[in-house]
Amino acid sequence: MIESQRHSYHLVDPSPWPISGSLGALATTVGGVMYMHPFQGGATLLSLGLIFLLYTMFVWWRDVLRESTLEGHHTKVVQLGPRYGFILFIVSEVMFLFALFWASSHSSLAPTVEIGGIWPPKGIGVLDPREIPFLNTLILPSSGAAVTWAHHAILAGKEKRAVYALVATVSLALVFTGFQGMEYYQAPSTISDSIYGSTFFLATGFHGFHVIIGTLFLIVCGIRQYLGHLTKEHHVGFEAAAWYWHFVDVVRLFPFVSIYWWGGI
Amino acid sequence: MGEIELKTAPADFRFPTTNQSRHCFTRYIEFHRCVAAKGDEATECEKFAKYYRSLCPGEWVDRWNEQRENGIFPGPL
Repeated sequence: MIESQRHSYHLVDPSPWPISGSLGALATTVGGVMYMHPFQGGATLLSLGLIFLLYTMFVWWRDVLRESTLEGHHTKVVQLGPRYGFILFIVSEVMFLFALFWASSHSSLAPTVEIGGIWPPKGIGVLDPREIPFLNTLILPSSGAAVTWAHHAILAGKEKRAVYALVATVSLALVFTGFQGMEYYQAPSTISDSIYGSTFFLATGFHGFHVIIGTLFLIVCGIRQYLGHLTKEHHVGFEAAAWYWHFVDVVRLFPFVSIYWWGGI
Repeated sequence: MGEIELKTAPADFRFPTTNQSRHCFTRYIEFHRCVAAKGDEATECEKFAKYYRSLCPGEWVDRWNEQRENGIFPGPL
């Protein structure tokens, strides 16, 4: 098939997944707005939309894997598309988290008169940064080191070792998420507790959400590595997961220093 | 007709910008900290009282006084 075309690009076959993704996104957004306002059926539409979106992601990426790993359409020049695309996606995520950290700094560096001109505001219970937050700030870079180990193993052709390294990476990531969830459960303040709660939980919450997405991506890579999809020359999916993971890892440092540590003093 | 002396709070280099809300708030806090340290009748605290009364809107002072009475004043008294 690819031998009969006289160029090294990939002209994709028609696919229903873009439109189904759009419909899923439409249902999610409309359902979400309905849910947050007094309309009937919002929750149902929101959940249906989310399920539909997740299904679309699954089948779309399954098709990409079929076209690349099984049908061989992803030549070097085709690989550039996902590579650059994913880097730009990470840049957009950086912008998003930058906005949340700006909001946090705006509120905490010059606290308003309405909350007493002090930070943290009076009565807000803060977490001790030297306990679980510090531990978690060590766990995440460790799992970043493990993903680098996995990458080196893939490049060296040591396939079994790469699977073990990915298992280590994902285990550390799950421990991180577990500790973070436990902390949220036992935290003395909530998201409704003044601007402190809003900025704290939005910034750490979205970071945590990105950690979970990154973990899922790494699990998929682990499964693919186990099934033998990744070769030492061609593993764009793995590289994307590793870049995403390093991004999540580095981002963790910012809330730790500015929100947990500085913000709690 | 005698000279009427008009005074307001002096310019404070800690608050150089046009928005003087923090200046008002800080003087209010300073007055109450002074009273807490030196007692209700201390004369040193009078100047802080004059400063905050010149700078702060009456509604703010009333609200803060009410918050202090109810124990919900958010500032570092």
